[in-house]
Amino acid sequence: MTTTQTSQPGFSTQTFEAFLATREEPDWLTERRRQAFELFLEKQHTELPAEEYRRVDLRSFRPEKYTHNSFVDQQELSLSSFSTLLAERAEFGGRVVHVDSQCRQSELAEELQAKGVVFGSLNELLKTHEELIKTYLMTQCVAAETDRFSAWHAAFWTDGTVLYVPRGVRVDQPLYSLIAQAQEFGADFSHTLVILEDAAEATLLEETCSHEGIVEGAHIGAVELIVGAEAHLRYVQLQDWAERHIHIAHQRGRVGQNGRIQWTVGALGSRIAHIHQDVDLDAPGSEAQVNGITFASERQLLSFYTQQTHHDHHAVSDLLYKEVARDTARVIWRGMIKVDEAAQKTDGYQRSDALILSPDARVDAIPGLEIEADDVRCTHGATAGQVDQDQVLYCMSRGVNRVEAMHLIVNGFFAQVFDRIPVEAVRETLAQAVERRLGFVEQE
Amino acid sequence: MIKVAELNELNNGERKSVFIEDIPSLLFRVEDSYYAIEDVCTHDGQPLGEGECVGTTIRCPRHGAKFDIQTGKALCMPAINPVQTFLVEQREDGIYAGL
Repeated sequence: MTTTQTSQPGFSTQTFEAFLATREEPDWLTERRRQAFELFLEKQHTELPAEEYRRVDLRSFRPEKYTHNSFVDQQELSLSSFSTLLAERAEFGGRVVHVDSQCRQSELAEELQAKGVVFGSLNELLKTHEELIKTYLMTQCVAAETDRFSAWHAAFWTDGTVLYVPRGVRVDQPLYSLIAQAQEFGADFSHTLVILEDAAEATLLEETCSHEGIVEGAHIGAVELIVGAEAHLRYVQLQDWAERHIHIAHQRGRVGQNGRIQWTVGALGSRIAHIHQDVDLDAPGSEAQVNGITFASERQLLSFYTQQTHHDHHAVSDLLYKEVARDTARVIWRGMIKVDEAAQKTDGYQRSDALILSPDARVDAIPGLEIEADDVRCTHGATAGQVDQDQVLYCMSRGVNRVEAMHLIVNGFFAQVFDRIPVEAVRETLAQAVERRLGFVEQE
Repeated sequence: MIKVAELNELNNGERKSVFIEDIPSLLFRVEDSYYAIEDVCTHDGQPLGEGECVGTTIRCPRHGAKFDIQTGKALCMPAINPVQTFLVEQREDGIYAGL
């Protein structure tokens, strides 16, 4: 495979203008991009928040090394040449595939189209469903002004996946979205936007990966999940970028009255990943279940900043993260439950468990609560520890060798979170991915 | 190995922030010798940066951990793990460093 970077490395004003020239977009969007770029320029010269970025060391992330995917030569690659985790795991009701920020495949079952479901590329839907995109794109969930990276994304987003399910429509089969990178040093700015109207239901499985042989790239992404009243969304994102990829994203879900979101993230790849994952419980009876699985090895740094915000009463949020770190990897989890004054009778829970497999691996787990209401139940906790050698000894006394014992123990560690994942294909995929990563434990 | 400095770019006792294998690192000149270590304190995971350096010992500016820049060894609490060191070569056209 050849890689050609034709022009415009970095993200200067000149690059931005050249990027805009490649787009044929309505004026409102161009204006939004320009405002976001102004913000990006301003925030680029502002110090990043010290509390957050003293743990997430971004010194080795040099944006000038990367070329926006709009300026790299697109190649015709067989989709089967990507090592995806989920693509062949289930029957999907629809499928959207992006390679180097270009939509290569977009399909949706006819019966779902007939029900008014919209599923496809953001760029295409901008032409056919402009009002829908204008209403929801970066207006309710991820705001450009949040920080440098959200502004950067808002200025430069290229394409992405949109799912819209009309009121009362239930999509039984899961839908699939792939974001893939095939260019060395390419910068991907994909966006995911999911809108479930009242009483709608859907499952979206999304994964990110790099083409074989690709080592380094950057992804500055955003995920927006809008769940209406009585609606139910299951959303899974598995991140499996190449070993030197940088992945920075803002992800946010909003849940309406008696709505429900089950949100699972799996972080396996990349050199540095820093994700803000926020869920907002906007109305009474809303419910969020958040599951996180991370496996970091070598020099990986995987960081998740999660926030469960309760805006109204009688909402439930339940977060469980399980993290494994080995070699010299570092995992960071900073969790926060925020409860507004109006959010009485909130039931909030967060827990992070970390397993440290090597003496030089490191885990930072920082749970937190900010509660303004006075009649709530909010609990949180974090554990971090090494594999219990008594457990290993017990397994070995039963004829299981040390490597197999480690596999058993690590699988057992993840079992609690696997059991919460609503899609069987995802459970199996993650279990196998963990198994694959653990193969190196023989050196223990 | 990659070139990280010109010959005579650093005076005795000076340092330079460089990237070696994409790892933020510090290159030191002590007398006529050069040393390179990863720019991170193994105690808190943050940069050693402008920490005071006496001879071949650098002191973390935050909590006072000390490291030997020749071997990477942690010399005093609160650090207990060594910092990564890199190979450094003086060639005719400059100073090179690598894993």
